[in-house]
Amino acid sequence: MRKKLALFILLGWVLLLIGDRVDELRVYQGAQIAMYTIALASIVLLTGYSGQVSLGNGAMMAVGGYSAALTLNNLGSPVWFAFVMAVVVSALFGAFLGAAAARLSGPYLAGTTLALAVGLPEIANQFAFLGGVPGILFDVGFPPARFGEEFTQYKWFFWIASFIALLALFITSNVLQSRYGRTWRAIRSHSLAAELSGVNSGRMKILAFTISSALAGLAGAVMAMTISLVAPGAYTLSLSFALVTGAVLAGVSSLPGVVFGALILVAIPEVADVLATRWGGDENLNNYLPGLIVSVLLILSVIFTPNGPGEKLKSRHHKKA
Amino acid sequence: MQKLLETFLIGLSTGSIYALMSLALVLVWRSTRVVNFAQAGQAMLSTYIGFEISTRTEIFWLGLLFAIAAGALLGAGVDYFFMRVLFKHAVSGPAAVVAPVIATLGLLGLIRSIVGLIWGGEFKTIKSPASTDGFTFGETTIPFSALNLLIIVTVFVILIILAIIFQRTNLGLSLRASAYAPEIAQLAGIRTARTRTIGWAIAGGVGGVAGMLVTASNFLSPYSLDLLLVFGFIAAVIGGLESMVGSVVGALILGIALTFILNYVGTSLVFIGGFAVLIVVLLVKPDGIMARGRARRA
Repeated sequence: MRKKLALFILLGWVLLLIGDRVDELRVYQGAQIAMYTIALASIVLLTGYSGQVSLGNGAMMAVGGYSAALTLNNLGSPVWFAFVMAVVVSALFGAFLGAAAARLSGPYLAGTTLALAVGLPEIANQFAFLGGVPGILFDVGFPPARFGEEFTQYKWFFWIASFIALLALFITSNVLQSRYGRTWRAIRSHSLAAELSGVNSGRMKILAFTISSALAGLAGAVMAMTISLVAPGAYTLSLSFALVTGAVLAGVSSLPGVVFGALILVAIPEVADVLATRWGGDENLNNYLPGLIVSVLLILSVIFTPNGPGEKLKSRHHKKA
Repeated sequence: MQKLLETFLIGLSTGSIYALMSLALVLVWRSTRVVNFAQAGQAMLSTYIGFEISTRTEIFWLGLLFAIAAGALLGAGVDYFFMRVLFKHAVSGPAAVVAPVIATLGLLGLIRSIVGLIWGGEFKTIKSPASTDGFTFGETTIPFSALNLLIIVTVFVILIILAIIFQRTNLGLSLRASAYAPEIAQLAGIRTARTRTIGWAIAGGVGGVAGMLVTASNFLSPYSLDLLLVFGFIAAVIGGLESMVGSVVGALILGIALTFILNYVGTSLVFIGGFAVLIVVLLVKPDGIMARGRARRA
C-alpha cells in the first residue's frame, strides 16, 4: 500500500515533467487521456470485476458533468466542490439504477443501460435549466497566478485531470485488491457458489454499480472541464461505444490496461484525421472514419482477444516459462 | 372524447411500428440468445436502400420491397458471416458473457459509419405513400392521417403473413422447434444452423419494413432509428423477450401509452415515460405480461 502510494507520487511527478516539455496540443491530449482513464476504470470495475455489462457509461458521465456544472454555476462553490458533487450525485444515481440492475442480467441490463445512453441526452434537451442543445458553461477558471505567466490554461486542465485520474486510479486499485474486489470476482465467475459462501450478491452488485457510476461521473466532470461546457452533444451514444471499445482493448479486467485503452481512444481521431486527409478529406470521411475505426477495432478485439490483447501475450509467456 | 380517440388511434399506429422492431429483436433472441442491437443498423441500411429505390422510381412500395429484401439478406449475412464466427471463438474468461452483446454493438457502429461514409449525415426524406393530412369529418379534422391508417394495415398484413409462416408451414415448425429446444430439434433432423440463419433473415426483413414506415412520416439519418431500437427493446421486454405475441401486444401498449403522454403531458416526458415503463416492468413483472408464473431464466 505504501509502496503503491510512492509509485503513484512518482508517476505524478513524471507526468508534471512531461507536461513541461511537450507542446500545447499534447498537453491537451494528456488531459483527455486522464479523463478516459477514469472512465475506463469505471467500466473495468463494473464489467471486468463484477461481471455486469453497462452500455450507458456515457450517460453516467453526463450526470457527473451536469451536476458539476450546475453546482459551480448556481452555488458559486469552489471548483473542487463541483467535482465532489459530480461524484456524489452520480454515485446516488448509480445506486438507484444499480438497485434495478442487480436484479437484471445479461440482455436486460445491456438493453436498459443502452436505453439510458440513447435517452439521457434527449432529456437534457427538454429541460430549460439544463441549457438545451447549446448546454451550459463549466469554467474552472484561470490557473493560479503563482505559477507564472507562462503557465497555460491547457496545462492547468492537464494538472487537474492528471491529479484526479491518479487519485481515482489509486483508490480504485485499492478497492479492487480489497475484500470487495475478490467478492466481485467470485460473483462474476460463479454467482451461486459465491452466494453459498455467504456473499450477498445483490448488495455487492449494487455497490459495484455505485462506485462505477461515481467514477464515470467524475470522468464526465473532467471532460466538461476540458471543453469548458456540458452539452447533450458531448455525451452521445458514440461516447458510450468508444468507452466500451477502450475497455475491451484494455482487457476488461486489467486496471493498468486502462491507460493503454485511453491512449488508443485519444489516438484514434488523430489517426483518422491523417488518413482522411490523405484519402481526399471529404466531409463524410472526416465525420465517419473515427467511428469506423472504433467499430472495427471493437469487433476484431471482441472476436479474437475478448479478454484484451494482454491475455494472449501472457499465455504465450507462460508457455515459454 | 374526440381527443381520447385520436390519441388512441395514433398510438396504435406508432405502436404497430414498434411491434415490428420488437418482433425482429424477439425472433433473434429466441434463436440465438442475443439481443441484436445491430438491428437498428441493419434496418437503417435497408431503409437507405429502400430510400434510393423509392426516390428513383417514385414508387414507395417498390422501395419497401427492396428494403425487405435488403434487410433479409443483411440479417442472414450477419448471422452467417458474423455470429457464427463469434460463437466459434466461443470464449472463456471475464468477457465471455458480454462478448456477444458488445459484438452486436460494434456491428451497429460499423453499419452506421458505412452508411455515413456513403450517404453522409444530412436528413433524407422518403415521399409518403399516402396523405399525411388528417382525415376530415364535416367541420373537424383529426390528426389521424391516411398514412397512419396505411401503417396499421401494412403491419397487420405482415403480422398475418408471419403468423401463417410460423403456425402453418414446416419452416415455421422448425423455427419454433429450434428456438424451443435446439438439441432435440437437431436430433429430429432439423438443420438448426440453417434455420437460425433463416430466422435472422426474417427478422432483418421485418426490421426493414419498420425503418421504411418510420421514415415515411419522418426523416432518415444514420442516427434516426436509435430511438426505435430502444422502444422496440422496451416493447420486447414488456412481452417477456420470448413471446412473439407478447412483443406485439407490448409494443401496442407502449405506443398508445407514449402517445397519451405526448398528447396530455408533453414531449419532454415521452422518453422518461418509456424508461419508467421499462424499469417498472423489469422490477414488477420481469417475465413480461405473457408469463404464467415461471421464473425468468438467468
